[in-house]
Amino acid sequence: MSSNVIVLDNGGGYIKIGVGGEREPTAVVPNCTARPNSSTVGTTAASSASTKKLLIADEITAADPTSLSLRRPHDRGYLVNPDLQRDIWSHLFRSLPLPSDLSVSSLLLTQPPFALSLPSVRRPLFELVFEDFNFRSLYVSDSASLVHLYEASRNPNGVASRTQCSLVVDCGFSFTHSVPVFQNFSLNYGIKRLDLGGKALTNFLKELVSYRAINVMDETLIMDDVKEKLCSVSLDVPRDLQIARKSGKDNLFRCTYVLPDGVTHTKGFVKDMDEAQRYVTLYDEAISPKAVAEEKIEQTNVMGKYEDRRRIDLTKNEFNLTNERFLVPEMIFRPADLGMNEAGLAECVVRSINSCNPLLHPVLYESIILTGGSTLFPRFAERLERELRPLVPDDYRVKITTLEDPILGVWQGGSLLASSPEFDAMCVSKADFEELGSARCSRRFVQ
Amino acid sequence: MDDDMSTSLRRMSSRTRKVAGKMAAALASSDNRTQAALARLEALENDNAAVEAVEIIDDDEASLDDEDQAYIQRKQSMNMKRKTRQGKARENAKKAARTFLELLHEANLESLPPHVPSYLKAAVGPPSSTSRRNLCTVCGFTANYTCVRCGVRFCCIQCQNIHNDTRCLKFVA
Repeated sequence: MSSNVIVLDNGGGYIKIGVGGEREPTAVVPNCTARPNSSTVGTTAASSASTKKLLIADEITAADPTSLSLRRPHDRGYLVNPDLQRDIWSHLFRSLPLPSDLSVSSLLLTQPPFALSLPSVRRPLFELVFEDFNFRSLYVSDSASLVHLYEASRNPNGVASRTQCSLVVDCGFSFTHSVPVFQNFSLNYGIKRLDLGGKALTNFLKELVSYRAINVMDETLIMDDVKEKLCSVSLDVPRDLQIARKSGKDNLFRCTYVLPDGVTHTKGFVKDMDEAQRYVTLYDEAISPKAVAEEKIEQTNVMGKYEDRRRIDLTKNEFNLTNERFLVPEMIFRPADLGMNEAGLAECVVRSINSCNPLLHPVLYESIILTGGSTLFPRFAERLERELRPLVPDDYRVKITTLEDPILGVWQGGSLLASSPEFDAMCVSKADFEELGSARCSRRFVQ
Repeated sequence: MDDDMSTSLRRMSSRTRKVAGKMAAALASSDNRTQAALARLEALENDNAAVEAVEIIDDDEASLDDEDQAYIQRKQSMNMKRKTRQGKARENAKKAARTFLELLHEANLESLPPHVPSYLKAAVGPPSSTSRRNLCTVCGFTANYTCVRCGVRFCCIQCQNIHNDTRCLKFVA
């Protein structure tokens, strides 16, 4: 029975899809379609015929990432274009090794908080699942409770599983949510949302690089890669700004990224990984001064190479990054710097906890779980803890847990839930939907 | 079938309002600086740098596989039906992807009683400290000066010149 549940974590950025009960999802693919930009498509007829094709989901990751214009079915994290989503899903159901007969399978779908309270999101969603794809039954869950479930089962002696409550901070593609979970259910009055996620950060980086170096406004996928490889969270912004201002090899943040040229390499890459990692010494210093000394020797050894490195090669398209590397993720912690009238992540967590029952406060602070792709920036958890500590009463412990794979955490929780014996009873069946409509069915998923 | 029609009593025209983000911000405020700030934030949520207006027209050809029977049938039935202007408008409205803000507007969340949690209530709200760090929009370092026209920050005269030459008032409609 359990093998017939398809678990679909339908994120704004990536779809995580697989069969319930398994450890890993079958596929993690971008939730969008892409088309090569008409202006940049080659002039020869043959190439334009082959490249004009619309790329869907998994085909994008394999394709040449330059100048793709993307269409996403989600806007600000919510489903707005069901037609596009249907195309993507049907492509996935056809091409992936999933149960082929959907009419006997159930679907476990994740949706952002409050998605079911918006009629124009809920109705197309139910129609998509039951009318277009003919699923036997559906369960809609929010990501926070699934993450909690996964963490509780992974670590049975942890605070999250002993107390049955935790605070899930989901810093994803479209936005960041801080959700208190109590007895495996998320408390919807405690949810706080910060309208910044991976997409905004990529766009911000794109804007900065385009303004300062090369125009990359059309290269969303490449800049995603730059962000993932080179950006990190700073623990001391004023100090790092000083370092980033220095010239030459004192500037530990400077590094170069080479854009794909379409001939010798179709993927962009970091020009010199050692150079890009130099800033790490800033944080190791306190721990192992010896390592730093060794590093220094090594640096003098590669001096010759270094001179070579510093010249910008004009035959290649490349750009330097300095302070962008830590100022971009910084926006999650201080959105006010961007001109947004919103509190940072630490304050978001505090407000979310404060709207819960006071008895829960100490437990929630002690089991903060980080999930979502944007928490993968190095030192994200450390920075959050440092910002949180002054805002939290002294006698509460603050403990932040990061999942081993923050992107897949939600899916893995969903897989656990799908394999549990009670799952079938929680679903809404197709007959229920036809009888009651989407509004009443969705009430079953809300506590 | 659905009972949620009764809950949203407000009647709405089926025509989708095509107000660009920039224009919406411009309508909301008359002040250059707020406009610039809002438009800049709006730009952060765009998928593609340039908005494609042609997308709606060639969408039909973008069907996944052309031998899709349902697709062909739909196309035939569309051809057989008498085309009225109203029908066309409805068809277009259905096809054009709506933005989330339009959906939010439709849900009419403002009418909910204040104790019910909703999308609007979940927003984190303004920061407790009003101080913000000022970073130069040109080079990224600490900025001490403000552009008198658009309110963007810069750190030195070189950066000011670059700002004035390139994108002062870029985001203002």
